[in-house]
Amino acid sequence: MSSPLTPPPEAPLRTGALADAEIDAVAAARGLAPEDVAIRARADASSRRTVLALYALAIVWLLIGTIFGDLASFKLHWPDLLTQQAWLTFGRVRTAHLHAVNYGWASLALIGTCLWLLPRLVHTELQGARFATFGATLWAIGVAIGAVAVLAGYNDGMEWLEAPRYMAGPFLVVGGGLLGLSMFRTAAARRAEHLYVSVWYILGAFIWFPMLYVVGKWPTLSGVESAAANWFFAHNVLGFWLTAMSVGLAYYFIPKVLGRPIYSYALSVVGFWSLAMFYSLNGMHHLVGGPLPTWMITTSIVASIFMFIPVVATGINLHMTVVGRFGALRYSPTLRFVVLGAVAYTAVSLQGSFTALREVNRITHFTHWTVAHSHVGGYAFVSFLAFGAIYYVVPRLVGHEWPSARLIRWHFGLVLAGITLYIASLTWAGVAQGLALLDPQLPFQVSVERTLPGLYGRSLGGVLLTLGHLVFAYHFWIMVRRPAAWRARPPFHEVQPILYTAEAEAASRPSAREVGAA
Amino acid sequence: MTAPASGDGGDRGGRVDVMARGALVGLGAFAIMAGAITLLVIVPATMLRQVKAPPDLPPYTARQLEGRQVYIANGCIYCHSQQIRDPAFTTDVDRGWGSRATVPEDYVHDRPHLLGTMRTGPDLINVGQRLPDMDWHLIHLYDPRALAEWSIMPAYPYLFARKRPQDVGPGDHVVKIPGPRAPAGVVVVAKPEAIALADYLMSLKRQYPVPDSARAGHRMAMQRADGGAGDGGR
Amino acid sequence: MLPTSLAVVLATAAMTLVPVLVLAWGWRRGFFRDLDAQSRVIFEPRDWRVERPWESPAERLTREVAYGAPLAPRPGEWGGAEGGGER
Repeated sequence: MSSPLTPPPEAPLRTGALADAEIDAVAAARGLAPEDVAIRARADASSRRTVLALYALAIVWLLIGTIFGDLASFKLHWPDLLTQQAWLTFGRVRTAHLHAVNYGWASLALIGTCLWLLPRLVHTELQGARFATFGATLWAIGVAIGAVAVLAGYNDGMEWLEAPRYMAGPFLVVGGGLLGLSMFRTAAARRAEHLYVSVWYILGAFIWFPMLYVVGKWPTLSGVESAAANWFFAHNVLGFWLTAMSVGLAYYFIPKVLGRPIYSYALSVVGFWSLAMFYSLNGMHHLVGGPLPTWMITTSIVASIFMFIPVVATGINLHMTVVGRFGALRYSPTLRFVVLGAVAYTAVSLQGSFTALREVNRITHFTHWTVAHSHVGGYAFVSFLAFGAIYYVVPRLVGHEWPSARLIRWHFGLVLAGITLYIASLTWAGVAQGLALLDPQLPFQVSVERTLPGLYGRSLGGVLLTLGHLVFAYHFWIMVRRPAAWRARPPFHEVQPILYTAEAEAASRPSAREVGAA
Repeated sequence: MTAPASGDGGDRGGRVDVMARGALVGLGAFAIMAGAITLLVIVPATMLRQVKAPPDLPPYTARQLEGRQVYIANGCIYCHSQQIRDPAFTTDVDRGWGSRATVPEDYVHDRPHLLGTMRTGPDLINVGQRLPDMDWHLIHLYDPRALAEWSIMPAYPYLFARKRPQDVGPGDHVVKIPGPRAPAGVVVVAKPEAIALADYLMSLKRQYPVPDSARAGHRMAMQRADGGAGDGGR
Repeated sequence: MLPTSLAVVLATAAMTLVPVLVLAWGWRRGFFRDLDAQSRVIFEPRDWRVERPWESPAERLTREVAYGAPLAPRPGEWGGAEGGGER
């Protein structure tokens, strides 16, 4: 019934290059000019080392961050655990965790995926790949310096911005700058006719993050102005850095694997611009009830409600594209993670809008609810996206599939169970805590005691997550550990023709006899 | 090199359009963020510049500032807040954490703010009023569970030295740990960091009446439960 | 619960009006003319044709009719380890 095209023979090749004969053979088979084939091959090969380096660094930070997270969680219900050393005190370990997982794991994994994806979307090689690799290394060094500094007691004092600006800052700034430069140069060298929505999100993220960093690290801030700048940064680094890249990736992986276009491209335009407009004004909802002018807080609450627009637009796109195709999740680990991640995005955003309302905030503010909420976003959404992306991209870089389906299943099961337990226990703990705090008849002690079961539950969830990450890291290791083998092989799908030749364009248009939608 | 073709007009026209779109996306993204920064960071900063230090709020002493750095370095902010919300909105005041909501004037000497976002532990903006006893703070920092067995606050023994009784010097600040958790055979002596931290904590008092500038309806009306404007306190 | 201050009302009006105006201008400039083509940018001829194990026979037939004979997926095409990589 089916007549699969025979994949080209895998001849031994010069490192990083493709044999002309192979290119010619495939080009002839596809009826394309050899130059078109060669460009895509070079595009994928150009990003290979950079992306693998970023993924390796990201996974190292995932493990480090997870261990700090476990330790911080244990210390909340076993407060006398490891208190003798200053560098292990809860207040430093918790900060090191947040720093490691956000600026280490999530940032590096997402940046790596964007560096892989952007050349593909704009149909050119990654420009300045060596600089990008160097930039990634500098960034990772910056993260390390930041973590060590915080553990040693050096702290700039604001949440999400603790890494000392004159110690870690230069590395993060220069490293991030090189990565961004590579990104923009690649975009400038584009050959693609249209800029797919993922490109907007990726470029947006690299424009926005530097702006936010400047605001957050502005040295002369004090008093409540510093609070406004603090939460402007911390909230927007979620929306315009982590979320922007993650949503951009979801817009690619879901349609790509399913083989059907995104549900409504017009909605993606609405989603992007409304996200930019409304998310940017949200930040003060972290300060509801606090000593700031009413107009600022109210603006943020209103903007948080307006967030329904981009969240519904993006949600419709990402979810409706999958509707009717949920069977794909059985076959594609990438989709398992990305689709669930997209659901988590919708959930965390709706939860955020809900939590910004004063009546709800009255109960949830200052409680573990907020921590649970941040993990719905940072883990169930962003980290799941990163896992799904890595599962998709790495085979295409090393030229072979993942070694073990079982390890993938274990990873997925463990982290899904872990994060579900985490969110459920901590949300419950937060509500119990908030209600107890609202009753002035109840001594403070009650609010603490009522959270304990939830804190134990969160620790158990964290242990499951840790196991899942160990499985994942091991699997990544055995996947990439023989560089000689994969360097000799061209990147997976390396001889895909570029879309934009006349023949390819014609082939991509559905024929007049098409029945139903693809 | 095959030029990319499309149904969208010639190559040259197509590339100009794509350039325009790319630059537009970039410019639009930048402009929106710049607008938000202006509205929520720059404008408030300039408005809040008129906030003056209240006469009842002295600047931190050098030792209190040292203690504030110890507070930051050890991440106290991750469990403790330093803000009182409007009594019409919620029960911070009823709980005895302060007599009024805090206002921007209360934080003029804070660089950076330490408002906090978690109440795993109590709010501290008026702890100097509630617990004006250096030794209480030192015992509590050394071992919170010596004073409150239900507490999940970490202990900070590294801010203290444990000396043999004969090694205790005349200038040492001895901390007598009560009850069964007292360490046997040693004397707990507070290091300068512990004393500085306790000094800082005891400086946290914002009970003076709301300064006139806040009360006299200047442009920055404080929050109320109904979202409307009002002054910060009684 | 609803905001009453003038500053907020103005900001809200600006937040809704400005994007609407910009989008209208973009529409006039023709940026939204070919949205359908834009959504298909990520696909190559191979993506339309590769066989997807979760699709029903009717869906496969639709693909074949529209795009041509199906192609075999590569091992790991969907991000996993299907090709007997059970180690």
